[in-house]
This record gives sequence, structure tokens and C-alpha cells, in this order.
Amino acid sequence: MSRNRRIFLAIVVVLAFVLQLSVFPQFKLLGAQPDLILVVSIVVAVTDGPVAGAIVGFFGGMLQDIASPQVMGVSALTKTLAAFMAGMLKDFFMTYSILLPVLLVFFLTFFELFLHQGVLLVLGQEQLPPLNAATIFASALYNVLLTFIIYPLLRRFRFPVKEESLSMAKRA
Amino acid sequence: MPASSRPRTNRNRIILIVIIIICVAVVTLYVRESDSGPLHKIQNFFLDLVSPIGGAFAKIVRPIKDGFVNLLHLPSLSKERDDLQRQVAQLRQQGIKNNELENENSELKRLMRWEETQAEFELVGADIVGQSPDNWQRLMILSRGSSSGIKKYMGVETDEGLVGRVISVGSRSSVVQLITDSRSGVGARDQRSRETGILDGQNGSILKFDPMKDDADLKVGDIIETSGLGGTCPPGVIIGKVSSVKTRSSGLARLVEVKPFVKFSQLDKVLVIITPEPESVILKEAQ
Repeated sequence: MSRNRRIFLAIVVVLAFVLQLSVFPQFKLLGAQPDLILVVSIVVAVTDGPVAGAIVGFFGGMLQDIASPQVMGVSALTKTLAAFMAGMLKDFFMTYSILLPVLLVFFLTFFELFLHQGVLLVLGQEQLPPLNAATIFASALYNVLLTFIIYPLLRRFRFPVKEESLSMAKRA
Repeated sequence: MPASSRPRTNRNRIILIVIIIICVAVVTLYVRESDSGPLHKIQNFFLDLVSPIGGAFAKIVRPIKDGFVNLLHLPSLSKERDDLQRQVAQLRQQGIKNNELENENSELKRLMRWEETQAEFELVGADIVGQSPDNWQRLMILSRGSSSGIKKYMGVETDEGLVGRVISVGSRSSVVQLITDSRSGVGARDQRSRETGILDGQNGSILKFDPMKDDADLKVGDIIETSGLGGTCPPGVIIGKVSSVKTRSSGLARLVEVKPFVKFSQLDKVLVIITPEPESVILKEAQ
């Protein structure tokens, strides 16, 4: 991954976090808001590989944990695992169709949520937020809608390594 | 598997394991430390840092959102205007009656020295600069924190009624748990019958009222207000109206639903009720 791509992804994560905190709570769809950081992590895992996705998931999730009074590290852990899983599954299917990230985002939204609840349960958190099937489904659909915007955007700005530097590397 | 891809797979595994170890370490430290521990301090510091950015974004987005909402509700707006004009006429008449009652009431209050106890509550205005970043909590981030005298467990209200209570405080920001959050429980009473109980949030737009007595006198349309029990909120802050009273199939208890007066999606400013040492009151009750 090029240096420009890394800087670009860092900006995307911070921007996703700010949008998640201030914009999406105002635009709920069927009473649910999306999880933009999860969408970005999964899409990065598909475009740049499981490790890149996991790192984006870790930093994005940690930002989310720090900015709200919840147990720090849980979102970072669940988003890391969801993104890593997305990257592994992408390697397994070997396709560039938008259908793959869309399906991964839809199903991994459920996975990430149940994992989050499971971790809180293991930690002995007394008051777990109640899971509402309609809200989970609406949130998964909202995430899918965002994937149609995020996936082409992240694929477009790939910042390929320049020919000269490639030939220099080969000579070396 | 080709030999060249094997070291890459191992490297991927190592990176994943390192990230998981960091996450588990952070979770363990966070759960074990007190509210004044380093990770909690980082959380509060970060909240102070992020809240102005969130506030700026919210200010940009709110007019756009209001435009969308108005566009969607355009057909019902003219009907609403007619209804409001009718209500204004009714309220004007009601106001005249209320003035008489107010005079009588202030005389009675003076006699009961009620005003003296109310004088200890001061209000601090704050802007809403952010909301919960997920679907499972009902939280709001305020632009004021401990530097404005705000402390954990203080009540938050608007002119429409009770909004929630402060659950986390930074120096220039604080987090409010709304009364609609499923983990919220507020000491409340029926304004008409004075029956007391607990008002629980359900992560939706409706609250559930659990009266102390099974045969409590509760009717649809009754106003529910804070009871003052708990020490975080003064008594008499209105919360909502009873929207339904149903008997459960078991026949043992009733399901009383309350619709809050506050329109949480339209809030942009709130008032924090500065109460003396709200945390110590909560702790005393827990003991």
C-alpha cells in the first residue's frame, strides 16, 4: 500500500468518525442509524486486504469507544474481527463485483453486533442494550446503501505506485 | 499454498493477534479502573476535543435536515397551523384563569416555604453538539462540562420537560443519558393522583411507568412529572402524558405507557439543573 493511500485512509477514518457522531444521528432511516466506521473497515478489507481492514477497524472502533461512555476497546475489537473476516472471505471468493462488499456488509453488521453484545455479556455488564430485530435489520440495510457510495470511492483513490519507483525497485 | 504467500499469511496473523491483545488489554484496564482512572480521563479529554468539531458539523447539518423534514410534512402543515390557532385562543382563556391560580399558589408556597428549597437549583444552558454514535444507546453530548459546574448525575431539561441526566463529564463537555435510553430510570409521579413510581426508557419514543402500587390510580391523559426522589432532579419537572394503561395478561401488573413531551430529534439547546452533590445522593441511596 502506498504512503498516499495510507494518508487517504487515515483521513477517511477520521471523517467517517465525525460523520458518525454528528451527521448520521440526524438522518435516521426507519429509526436506525448506520455504522459508517464498520462499512469503511469492511470495504477497506475488500479493497486492500484483511490486515488493512483490521487496522482501519481497530482505529475507527477505538475512536468510537473513546467518544462515548462505553467500555473502551470493545468496538475496536469487534470491528477489527469483522473487517479481518471480510478480507479473508474476499480472498476466498476472488471477485471485484460490488455484490461481494454489499453482502459482506449486510451479514457482518449482524455478526459485529452480536459479537459486541457477547463481549459485554462476558464482561458482566449489568444493563445490556436490548436488541431490536427491526432496528438491526434497518441498520444493516442502511449500511448496505452506504456501501454503494463508499466502495466505488475507496476503489477510485488507489494511488498506484509510480512506474519509475517500480522499475527502480526491480533494478535494486 | 505457494511458498511466497506463507510468510505474508504469518505476518497477517501476527498483526491480528497483536491488535486483539491490545484491545483485550484496554478492555480489561477500563473495566477494572475507577471513574477517575487514566482511560476514563482519556475518554473525557477526547470528548472535550471532539465536541466543538461535532457541534460545527451539527450546525451545518441541522438546517438541511429541517428542510427535508419540512418538505415531507408540507401537506400536514396547513392543518397543523389551523389547530395551533385554535389552541392559542383556548390557551389565552386558560391564561387568564391561570393568573388567578398562580396568585393563590404563590401565597400557599410562601406559607409552605417551598420556594426556599427550590432556590438551591440553578440552571446552566448548553448546546447539543453530538449524539450517540450507535443504535443501542440514547445519548447526547453537550457543549458544557465541569468548568460550568456540571457534575455526574445532574438532571437535564428544556421548557418542554425532562430530557435526561448527565452520566459523564469532561471539563468542556458532558454526556447526557436521555430518559428514552433503556438503562434510564427516573423517579416520577402522577400529577393528578400523586401516585409515585419509576419511569423507564425503552430505546423508543414511549416510556414505561412502573407505579409503586399495583392498583395505582392512573388514567390516560394524566401528566407525569419528576417525584424528586433520587436527588438529581427537583420535584415537579414535567416529563410526559400517559398514553395508555393496559392490564397485563397475567393480571398481576399494569402496563402504563407515557409519551414524553420533549421532541428529542428537534433538540438543539438544553438546561442542566445544578443540584448540590448529586453523585453523593446516588451513592448514599445505593448503600
